[in-house]
Amino acid sequence: MSNRRTSRRISHSQRRGPPAGREWRKNQGTWRSQGETAMKEAEEEKPGCQEQETVPRGSCQSMCPLRELREREAQKRLHRFEILEGTEKDRRPRADPSRIVKEYSRPAAGKDSTIPTDLRPPAVLLKTVCYLIDDVAASPSLHPWTEVYNFVFDRLRSVKQDMIIQRVSGLESMTILELTVRFLIYASYRLCGEPLRLYDPRINDTHLQESLSWLLDCYATGAGPHPNQEEFQALSLLYNLGSTRAMQHAMELPERLRNSPTVSLALSISRAFLERNPVRLLRLSQKLNFLQSCALHRHLGTCCRDLLLIYSHGHSSRNCRFPLNRLAELLALERSLTAQLCQTYGVEVNQDNQVVFSKTAFTEPEQGKLHCELYHNKVAEKQRDLTVGSVIHGYT
Amino acid sequence: MAHITINQYLQQVLEAVDNREGSFCAELLSFKHPHVANPRLQLSSPEEKCQQVLEPPYDEMVAAHLRCTYAVANHDFIEAYKFQTLVAFQSHKEENWALPVMFAVTLDLRIFANNAEQQLQKKGKGQPGDMLEKAAEQLMSCFRVCASDNRAGIDDSKKWGMLFLINQLFKIYFKINKLHLCKPLIRAIDSSNLKNDYSMAQRVTYKYYVGRKAMFDSDFKPAEEYLSFSFQHCHRSSQKNKRMILIYLLPVKMLLGHMPTHQLLRKYDLMQFADVTKAVSEGNLLLLNEALVKHETFFIRCGIFLILEKLKIITYRNLFKKVYQLLRTHQLPLDAFLVALRMMQVDEVNIDEVQCILANLIYMGHIKGYISHQHQKLVVSKQNPFPPLSSVS
Repeated sequence: MSNRRTSRRISHSQRRGPPAGREWRKNQGTWRSQGETAMKEAEEEKPGCQEQETVPRGSCQSMCPLRELREREAQKRLHRFEILEGTEKDRRPRADPSRIVKEYSRPAAGKDSTIPTDLRPPAVLLKTVCYLIDDVAASPSLHPWTEVYNFVFDRLRSVKQDMIIQRVSGLESMTILELTVRFLIYASYRLCGEPLRLYDPRINDTHLQESLSWLLDCYATGAGPHPNQEEFQALSLLYNLGSTRAMQHAMELPERLRNSPTVSLALSISRAFLERNPVRLLRLSQKLNFLQSCALHRHLGTCCRDLLLIYSHGHSSRNCRFPLNRLAELLALERSLTAQLCQTYGVEVNQDNQVVFSKTAFTEPEQGKLHCELYHNKVAEKQRDLTVGSVIHGYT
Repeated sequence: MAHITINQYLQQVLEAVDNREGSFCAELLSFKHPHVANPRLQLSSPEEKCQQVLEPPYDEMVAAHLRCTYAVANHDFIEAYKFQTLVAFQSHKEENWALPVMFAVTLDLRIFANNAEQQLQKKGKGQPGDMLEKAAEQLMSCFRVCASDNRAGIDDSKKWGMLFLINQLFKIYFKINKLHLCKPLIRAIDSSNLKNDYSMAQRVTYKYYVGRKAMFDSDFKPAEEYLSFSFQHCHRSSQKNKRMILIYLLPVKMLLGHMPTHQLLRKYDLMQFADVTKAVSEGNLLLLNEALVKHETFFIRCGIFLILEKLKIITYRNLFKKVYQLLRTHQLPLDAFLVALRMMQVDEVNIDEVQCILANLIYMGHIKGYISHQHQKLVVSKQNPFPPLSSVS
């Protein structure tokens, strides 16, 4: 993510009477110009003073710039969620100013994305994000959720773009990033298993990682206190289970933070993964709350596989039997699902519901035969009566 | 040398350039050389003087260098960095005699970037790592010039500059935690036919970083290889460097079952590892945890805490081997292991976890045997149930 970085303009001073035939010099700024000009340039080039270069400041006070509203109305490019009620059937549906949100558009050559009237200042961005979460993502009346997701995802992306262009930092940006991260983590669980054209886990992951690392950067550099920091440090560990980078980052946190119950539980889970102790990992993961379980959920498959793999080696003897019920308890899965999982990995379950582990029988299933939904029940149990809105706002 | 006039200095540079004395020229542009402390050379605008004596592009290089000495004398590293950038930019030449100059200049460039970064941080300006990243860009542009020099014969090739630049880049990438950027550089060296012909000093540095990278990626076998090379070939007078190498070599060696001696730890002032070593070889989990907590700051700062935690697996193995030696039977009740773990104050451990730890050790080849769930026993092989660590992994 280099987008937060200021673009560096290098001013070239014209060299007086350049000797001919020295190609390479043409492109080089020189320091030959005397006296004040040189000093001024030096001043300009001084890194760190770049902030004084004009950073675009937005002036758009609504969620969508007027220009875009008109344009998309005219081009009939309004999303179903943005159309003014009653005009849906019109030849040219009208936009509902309280529901239309600036869409993401790819930066391209010749396109000026720094026009103040097209950019929303931080407060408006925050308002936009709250609208997207409360009135779209958490809305009980908008269906299907894949469409809700794609709409919110795109509009959040444009929020992020506005933030980057204006180099927004501070409290608002942190709140926006926190909401974004929670939304994306929740989506990574809720939409897991949807067809690729409706939900691409890869793209979701990219954006999630970007927002998360930006947020953690904010914590590291911004003045505190950051009341939600523990929550997000833990989420980062759980979502990136087994990543040396994430763990190293967590280890470098101040002791007070690292030893807080939330982070320390996440660290214990990471350690169990590192030691390849899925039994401990799965036991500890039962203490996680719903959103944390969502973050961890994509690794559950690996954990269960690890367990079957090492048990296949550890209990590999012709006369040994392992009760299926016991295995189901360890995996925290229902018995039928456990049997199904064993079958996927070539582990034999006999008629008496006894597992016969054998190191030669264990086989990695083909790609695509793994069903993550197997583990969804475990996560779903934790949601209980939490609404989407309260999950994303972090009320647990 | 320390008190020569500007004219004398410029004359020396001119001669060095004319005679193509790369290393002498490098000294004259290096901040390791005493001339930088000479107040007669610290000029805020030496351009005209330089122009009178030297031909382009050397006039500009030297002028920038002198302005840099001026900035450094004023402790303004941000300013110094800027001029150093300019020097670095211009040190490409038609042949390779000037490589030592490039080495000296790029080395100073990195050091100034580092200092400038600290100054900026103190003032609360700029993103952390910004300065170093920009310095890396400069180094990269030098690197590209060197790497793409295909015209000259091997003796005149600028390719001889690659490894030095790579080492400088490694230093930056490790500092700003962008290890993934190392990969293309490593590939460039791997595919180079000069890779075994660079100077030993450069190769030692290179292997040190590649070893650390391998370690970070959990490729312990190659990490051991690289770091051992680095340690064995590091100059014997560079105790400090040898110590740095050991900080990474020791954990890797331990993971592969080789424990360092007390003398070695003492010699290199690495007694932080003493308790860790003792704990691992005795199978004393309790002591291991204590040792890790006690020297936590040191281990975390060096980035080896997580690797040392991996030693737990080996510690389990050694602990369980003791259980086996005490009970002198091939059918060991699982309860015995549970007792051992509880003695070591492993929190919340239960019989399921004992099975899991044992299963993992069997899977990794540290124990030869199987677990019988029906009888709640570990049945170990009659021959060599705990194979030596060095024969495993």
